[in-house]
Amino acid sequence: MEDLVERLARGNVTEVKVMLASIALALAVYQLVLIAVCYGKVRPPFLASRPAGLAHRTSGDAIAVIMVVVAVICLSYFGFEDDATVHVVAATALLVVLAVKVAVLRVFHGASRLLPLLGSSVFVLLAITWVTSAGMYFADN
Amino acid sequence: MSDRPSHARQMVGSLLVAVAIVVVTIVVVTAKFGPTSAAEREAAEERQEERLKLQEDIEKARQDRLEEERRGRD
Repeated sequence: MEDLVERLARGNVTEVKVMLASIALALAVYQLVLIAVCYGKVRPPFLASRPAGLAHRTSGDAIAVIMVVVAVICLSYFGFEDDATVHVVAATALLVVLAVKVAVLRVFHGASRLLPLLGSSVFVLLAITWVTSAGMYFADN
Repeated sequence: MSDRPSHARQMVGSLLVAVAIVVVTIVVVTAKFGPTSAAEREAAEERQEERLKLQEDIEKARQDRLEEERRGRD
């Protein structure tokens, strides 16, 4: 798996990871805007609640795929490093909360009142995960 | 009657904004990385180190040879 990841990234595994994580974070910020429109907190004249909600769900699916790809790259290539405890904890919690959110959306509709809390948690955990990996990378370089 | 575009158009527009955000992120992050891939840079640094080591080895061998020649003369 490690060889496959290295071959796919042409040796630039860290850079590919940083790029994908940055895309996920940028889209997550946009997700906040879309969900604010969806819940009627913001009412722009050019975007209604329903299409904003659909766009939120569609780009959310894309972010989820990116996160899983980054997690696979991270685990198979870097593993659990001792000096990255905050990153490991935040990333693990992120995947768990994301899985719960997807389960609430697709299966447990009765718990949909938890979605704002779950969504906010996903955003905060994604931000912490990004800062402790990609953010550190940019700071070091 | 509202003059808003249809829901389908709004949805497509929202997704195009998402695509634009992805493109801008790729451009910004790539600019931070620089034009050369990290793997190529590391390989070049490795080659440079090997060249320096080889030069040092040649120089050391030359010094040893000169030292031996001097001892032979003495």
